[in-house]
Amino acid sequence: MIYTLRHLTAYAYRNTVGHALCSLRLTPQSGDGQEVLSHAITVTPGPERRDDARDFFGNRAVTVTVTQPHRSFRIEARSRVRVERPAPPDPATGPSWESLREAVLASRDLGAESPLHGLAPSRRVPLVPEVSDYARESFPPGGGAVAGALDLMQRIRRDFSFDGGATDVATPLAKSFALRRGVCQDFSHIMIAGLRGLGLPAAYVSGYLRTLPPPGMKRLEGADASHAWVALWCEGRWHGFDPTNGIAAGNDHVVVARGRDYADVAPVSGIISGSGAQTLRVAVDVVPEDEEA
Amino acid sequence: MSGAARAADPGPAAAIDPAAEPGADPASDTPAARIARWCGAYAPLPGVPDEMIGPDGTIRPAWARFLDRLGALPESEIVARFASAGRHIHDTGVAYRVYGETAERDWPLGVLPLLVEADEWRAIAAGVAQRAALLEAVLADVYGEGRLTAEGLIPAAAVAASPEYLRPLHGVAPPGGRHLHLYAVDLARGPDGGWRVLADRTQAPSGTGYALENRLVLARALPDVYNALDVERLAPFYHAFRAGLAAAAQRVEPRICLLTSGPYSDTYVEQAVLARYLGLPLVEGDDLLVQDGRLHVRTVAGLKRADVLWRRVDGDFVDPLVLNPTSRLGVPGLVEALRAGTVAMGNMPGSGLVEGAWLSPFLPALAERLLGEALRLPGLPAWWCGDPAQREAALARLDDLTLRPAAQQAQGAFTSRAFGAARDPDETARLAAALRDRPGDWVAHERIALSTAPVWDGAGLVPRRFVLRVFAAWTPDGWEVMPGGFCRIAEHADVQPVAMGAGVRAADVWVLSDAPVEPATMLPPADRAPVRRVPGLLPSRAADNLFWFGRHLERAEAMVRLATALLNGAGAVSLAREDVDTSARLRHLLRAWGAVPSAEGPAALLAAQALSGGEFWGSALAHARSARGNAASLRERLSGEAWRAVSQLLAALDPAGPADSEAALLDRAERALAVTAALSGLAQENMNRAGGWPFVELGRRLERAVNTCRFAGVFAGDGASTDDLGVLLELVDSRISYGARYILGVALAPVRDMVLLDPYNPRSVAFQVERIRERLADLSSLRRDGMPERQTRLVLALSGEIASTEADTLSPAVAEAWEARLWSVAEAVAARYFPGTSEAERPETLVALA
Repeated sequence: MIYTLRHLTAYAYRNTVGHALCSLRLTPQSGDGQEVLSHAITVTPGPERRDDARDFFGNRAVTVTVTQPHRSFRIEARSRVRVERPAPPDPATGPSWESLREAVLASRDLGAESPLHGLAPSRRVPLVPEVSDYARESFPPGGGAVAGALDLMQRIRRDFSFDGGATDVATPLAKSFALRRGVCQDFSHIMIAGLRGLGLPAAYVSGYLRTLPPPGMKRLEGADASHAWVALWCEGRWHGFDPTNGIAAGNDHVVVARGRDYADVAPVSGIISGSGAQTLRVAVDVVPEDEEA
Repeated sequence: MSGAARAADPGPAAAIDPAAEPGADPASDTPAARIARWCGAYAPLPGVPDEMIGPDGTIRPAWARFLDRLGALPESEIVARFASAGRHIHDTGVAYRVYGETAERDWPLGVLPLLVEADEWRAIAAGVAQRAALLEAVLADVYGEGRLTAEGLIPAAAVAASPEYLRPLHGVAPPGGRHLHLYAVDLARGPDGGWRVLADRTQAPSGTGYALENRLVLARALPDVYNALDVERLAPFYHAFRAGLAAAAQRVEPRICLLTSGPYSDTYVEQAVLARYLGLPLVEGDDLLVQDGRLHVRTVAGLKRADVLWRRVDGDFVDPLVLNPTSRLGVPGLVEALRAGTVAMGNMPGSGLVEGAWLSPFLPALAERLLGEALRLPGLPAWWCGDPAQREAALARLDDLTLRPAAQQAQGAFTSRAFGAARDPDETARLAAALRDRPGDWVAHERIALSTAPVWDGAGLVPRRFVLRVFAAWTPDGWEVMPGGFCRIAEHADVQPVAMGAGVRAADVWVLSDAPVEPATMLPPADRAPVRRVPGLLPSRAADNLFWFGRHLERAEAMVRLATALLNGAGAVSLAREDVDTSARLRHLLRAWGAVPSAEGPAALLAAQALSGGEFWGSALAHARSARGNAASLRERLSGEAWRAVSQLLAALDPAGPADSEAALLDRAERALAVTAALSGLAQENMNRAGGWPFVELGRRLERAVNTCRFAGVFAGDGASTDDLGVLLELVDSRISYGARYILGVALAPVRDMVLLDPYNPRSVAFQVERIRERLADLSSLRRDGMPERQTRLVLALSGEIASTEADTLSPAVAEAWEARLWSVAEAVAARYFPGTSEAERPETLVALA
């Protein structure tokens, strides 16, 4: 499947902003079942300086410095991506979750792909005993790691309500867990906290979902904004689990960046010199090419 | 004397001098008798070594020498000297803040130093230098090649789990070649007499400034004892540390800045002390800007490049762009500048990694591997529970061990449990579960009973537990260990001196040389000291604070004068109509300036509010507090005398003072005016003209000009009474010069001339405007076309108009117009010299919804 993606982020400021320094993680990655065919980011007003680099986890990060005074700031990312993901892992095979835990702890790898980065609490994912206990129900002694992750994902899908008004980007994990409400970011952070609480390596993935479902299928949650899901490391690679929709990440998902939590992969982050209110508009289109014609 | 009560267990020390018994006749108050009295009840605790009393029960030689000298002083003399030293500590604002508290506490320095003999010190210093070198090597590997984790010499899982493993710093070669420039280590003496490491400090070690202040105070209080004992001097250490920072820079004469965690951090005062002592600008994150890949300081003379940052901000907070996005203490883009190598940093962000408790079990093997040496200063025996073998070893004797979070930094560690408190069953169960699910999060270590050293309890010596902090600096000649340090020691027998706080004192550390000690100062050799008249850079934020310091002090003074005038008028015999009108004008002005809530009421009440009503934003006390707030951010630029004077102003205006009569209030006002006059004099006589002084002066002159215009507008209207004019002359402190010049009594035109136009009257508007013009002319221009800047143009225009105005054309409207133009000058000054430092501009973080 080839997707055409457009991700628009537009800020409007009440007062003039004289200087902005922003970090953009809007570039999909090739590899792991997807290939970037083309990609461009347009920033308005035009930046004085632009640096393309890879962050620690191998994500593409574009840093822009805008020095001309402005009242609106627009970032538009356009990409074409081919997605052909391998089938998700079979829950009936693979290691038990206890043996996965021991194996990961003994790892000597600190590279970008290492499961060790998914083990410790991070800025947005503290370890919360209640969340660990919730997750434990999916991991009976001797149970498979992948089977447990699938079960936990489906329980979150079942037990939590999608509610864009209940939380915002700054809502602490413990609060959205107590509310049993939130959006993809909250569900992903909760699932990650649950896995890590049991000593299992979990990461946060930001990306996109196709906007319109295939004919006859239900529209998925999170398709009109950038999306987020969870990755569990098992047997040498990261596997995607989407707790918002209760499905393994497959050919409807396009990966942009992977990190420990939202703070590592925020699509747009940065510092502006200025005061006063700002409003934000985000628009995302993910269209399969055969449907465009 | 408390000898009887404390002598229940005389202990081994009772053997010192049987000739002199406690409570001896005052006539036999000889040195030997005093020493015997002070030490008579000294009883070391069982099971732990004591610094003063050796294992054989006799006084160790160093302490015997010390006591010999101290015994020459009568107790009253010792008490008096330390009272004086204590006042010095209080007045100069040497203070610290307990985390979570807003008020600063005075620094609690103990009377007795900790004494360390030369031989023992050499072993400590060698161990500390070795440990610093070892931790540097570990950091270089983890942020570089990664061989130690790949080979399993340190656990990769523990590195990955550390919040101080700052991934954006991975692969960044530290500019200057070092991750560590300053290292500190907390030591305790074990039961066998050997030193053990309790904690390593590699993040942003604190204590060097307090060590310096402790030494200054103690050497001042006990100069005879200090000089007689050949105590190693501290100054060369600081000089070498500074040289090590300078060597990390690309430029030959680098600009080194101290990046402070701000006036609200617990050790801000120490940071200010160090900035002043080392001659480093104290900067906050907002003072800095990365432009074109280089780090700059925003100064009143534009952007100036910064070559080296000595940071006291935690590593994760130095760059909100790639590290902690919520940080307001850092500089966006700083990590990129580090990567580019254009700025050096001591210590590098991420160096806090090796403070983690998980590292300790691996250090002996790392020392063999990386240095080819045995580890000289071991930590407490410890086990990282993420390793199955170590976990088994720890579980086998868990009840004897303390469990600590493996990634936890040194801060906040060593709760009382570390010293042997028992666990309840619930806690044991919780720990078992934690060890099962996430064993790598835990380190188990043996406990240690802290040893003791003598403390002066007011009448004699008592043994108290202590922890010794030692510092090492990277210098062009390698690691150098400060011959001294910082000792935390308990005040009471049941206190563990694990952190500064209630019941813990600081003690100076005297390393006794076995050779005569040469006096040393911070002065570099004469041939290496370039002559420079213009002091270092003045950050815009500091200039802003100086400016407001001047303005608040001046407004406080104006308030005191208004209150005085009200009290004087109220006390006048005449109750003529004119007098009542004048009083009403005063009341109205007090209310308009926010010093009183209502213009009605007894004069004494209003005057008390205007002077000491801290809850009213315009009162003299409120302005004095604001001035102290400004001064608090300027500690490294203000002399101790200035800080003391500000404290005295607050004390003079203290609402708790006597206020039962108008006379008492007048007395309060008089004392306040004496302090503001002293502050003016200090600024005038003691502040370097090329440093911050122009901004204090600008603030003060602008405020005085504005106030005087207002006074003239209110009290020198066209129908002004003689009472009005008399009050006006009082307010501008010009009654005497007026009387000397005009014999006929007050008249409108001469008063207006004297208050507004007279260029020779240091209280006139004309005089203020000329001083403002001069100060602005002294400051550097940012324009390259030679045209005057806006603030200068505005002042020149006003100055010309005042000079060409005649007294009989003056009116309240003119005074009002000039006041408005002075406000424009103030705004132009702020826009030019401290843009963005006020509340107007704060960086905001962009957030996109996921």
